[in-house]
Amino acid sequence: MPDRKRQAHYFSKRRNYKAMNKKLFAPFFFVGPHLILFLIFILIPTIYGIYASFTQWNLMNDPVWIGLANYKTILFDSSSTFHTQFFNGLKNTLLFVVISVPLLIVIPLLVAVALEHKKVKLKGVIQSIIYIPGLISISAAALIWLLIFNKQLGITGNVFHSQVAWAATQPYAWIIIFVITVWGGVGGNMIIYRASIAGVSKELYEAAEIDGAGSVRRFFSITLPSINFPLIYTFVMTTAGAFNVFGQPLMMTDGGPRQSTHVLMMYIRQLAFGQGESIAGMASAMAVLLGLVILVISALQYYVMNRNTR
Amino acid sequence: MKKSFVISLLMIFAASMLLSACGSSSEKTITFWTPLTGDDGAYMDEIVKEYNATNPDIKVKHVITSDMYTKLSTVLNSGKGVPDLAIIHADRVPGFAKQGVLEPIESAIKGQPEIKEANYLPQAWSTGNIDGTQYTVPLDIHSNVMYYNKDLLKKYNAESILDDNVVTIDEMLSLKGKLASDEYVVNDALLGWVILAQVQDLGGDIQENGKPAVNTPVMKQAFENVKKIADAGLMTPFGEDGYLMFQSGKVLFSTDGTWSSTAHAKVDGLNFGVTNVYSPTADKFTNRASSHLFTMFKNDKRSDEKEAGIGAFLEFVREHSLEWAKAGQIVASKQVNESPEYKQFMQSFFTSNEQETKSLYIYTYEYYPYVAEAVDTYCADIVRGNVDLDETLQTMQKFVEDKIAESSSKQATK
Repeated sequence: MPDRKRQAHYFSKRRNYKAMNKKLFAPFFFVGPHLILFLIFILIPTIYGIYASFTQWNLMNDPVWIGLANYKTILFDSSSTFHTQFFNGLKNTLLFVVISVPLLIVIPLLVAVALEHKKVKLKGVIQSIIYIPGLISISAAALIWLLIFNKQLGITGNVFHSQVAWAATQPYAWIIIFVITVWGGVGGNMIIYRASIAGVSKELYEAAEIDGAGSVRRFFSITLPSINFPLIYTFVMTTAGAFNVFGQPLMMTDGGPRQSTHVLMMYIRQLAFGQGESIAGMASAMAVLLGLVILVISALQYYVMNRNTR
Repeated sequence: MKKSFVISLLMIFAASMLLSACGSSSEKTITFWTPLTGDDGAYMDEIVKEYNATNPDIKVKHVITSDMYTKLSTVLNSGKGVPDLAIIHADRVPGFAKQGVLEPIESAIKGQPEIKEANYLPQAWSTGNIDGTQYTVPLDIHSNVMYYNKDLLKKYNAESILDDNVVTIDEMLSLKGKLASDEYVVNDALLGWVILAQVQDLGGDIQENGKPAVNTPVMKQAFENVKKIADAGLMTPFGEDGYLMFQSGKVLFSTDGTWSSTAHAKVDGLNFGVTNVYSPTADKFTNRASSHLFTMFKNDKRSDEKEAGIGAFLEFVREHSLEWAKAGQIVASKQVNESPEYKQFMQSFFTSNEQETKSLYIYTYEYYPYVAEAVDTYCADIVRGNVDLDETLQTMQKFVEDKIAESSSKQATK
């Protein structure tokens, strides 16, 4: 019966359509919540931030469009306070990135590899001890570290007889910033490295051992190549994070001495949310420029490392 | 699938309703924002609790808002969730008034005859008056003051310094060479405020015809005077916590805030008193001060009834803010600061006579916050001789001018 046939065909088509529908929408339900949060808290503010960078805005009144004037001032008007602040901030931020990123890659990697050794006991406990500082708020941690480095009351003064006011003298001001950064930042990357090292096949190590490879050779020929993706990931993320450094210098040195540890994020925050009327347009322009620097450097890192590891 | 889509939409809707509900306030509560974190907030909580216990028509809900000024700009921009009442600092009044976001306080206090200038410390009241319109009612004055260690003064036979209530820089310099090697005459707490007080002592100001005046001979003189103390080795070393050093009994004078007295009082064995911040001259002394002020931000939804409720609350505070003295602040209400109970508090020294009251100086220059930021940023390095004074004063002047140019020119012409 052609009618029944047509009906059957229709139903099967409908089923197919339904199934297709399911396939079409199902992914959106999984990514949906993230997508909504991403839109509200990241994408829209980012776009608005970029828009604000082309305006003069005090956060209260409506932004006034001024085109590229903020960027011109920051980049080219060398007599402007904002120009000086931006380049001093960027210089200090770059210095922080260049020193802290290698530390935050190498130290966690060494710790993770060391914890793999058969004779190391209480691995879980050691891992927790190293990881916990990352969970402590930076301001609470900074207060404790400042007391440790306090000339009168601290360990450095009383046990090691250091006569230096650490937070106010270079290079010690940077040193205490790096100490607290490494202390708080080692744990996160270490966990990633440990997890990826655990995923490397044991047979590779056994085979290498039979072939007479020492531990150094095994590290460079097996461990490192096997975890190159986690390495790229942590390298890029740690760098981007380091560019956004704020809490450590704010709490430890307040940018001093002579603004030599005053990082860009501190200037941005002061302009937008400091004393007096907000200068949010200029702050946004600085933030956009910082974002561009991070974007370019992250892309470069990814490109270079990905090419080398292939 | 459709069902779950609808359900998830509903949930998002419900969540957003809940979130936005946090911002709105009911007709029967006065939402009261303050930036009073820490102990100050607890004392204010206590005052609000006492007020609500009197069963007023409209109760007050105290919301301690860290980062209040940032949040204020957000709610004022969107017009949603604007608090009914807020406490702001004195130096914020001119800026807010110029931006037109403040409601004259008159509408709230018209039913309260006792809320008037004569019943408050004059400078605390007048700081909220811009071009003849009163925008605020003061809660307190909190000032830079100078604590002294009684035992150390006695030890060095220097109690005579305090005779006339003016500690001059020369008197401090006279102690050179007399102190033990780990002891100091003065610390560098709130150094920026100290500098701004010196400017007043020298008869100067931070503005000239509305233009910022940072790079001035008076400012230079102020820095040079304070630098003398540091150069003589009498100031606690650069980068060290002078506040803690005072508490540990190693420093004769500490130039911190009225509010620190409560913390100092908790230190065992610290025998301390309070006096005026040091001055370059015996003729004049200034304690650079600020003030916490009640104010209303513009909000169409605030009913007349609520404004009357705010007036009633402010009157209660005027009569009952002795609690606030416990936070170490100089209470602005004369009924409180002239009461015998108030005399037990150390800061009553600053309202003990007219000369003292006058010494509490609140800067009202529109761009004071930028000037203060410039002074705070550079003062330590100048006083310690880390930077060239003339050059840095130029930088500071430019710093303030650039910020003013960015913040206002285009906004004002709108």
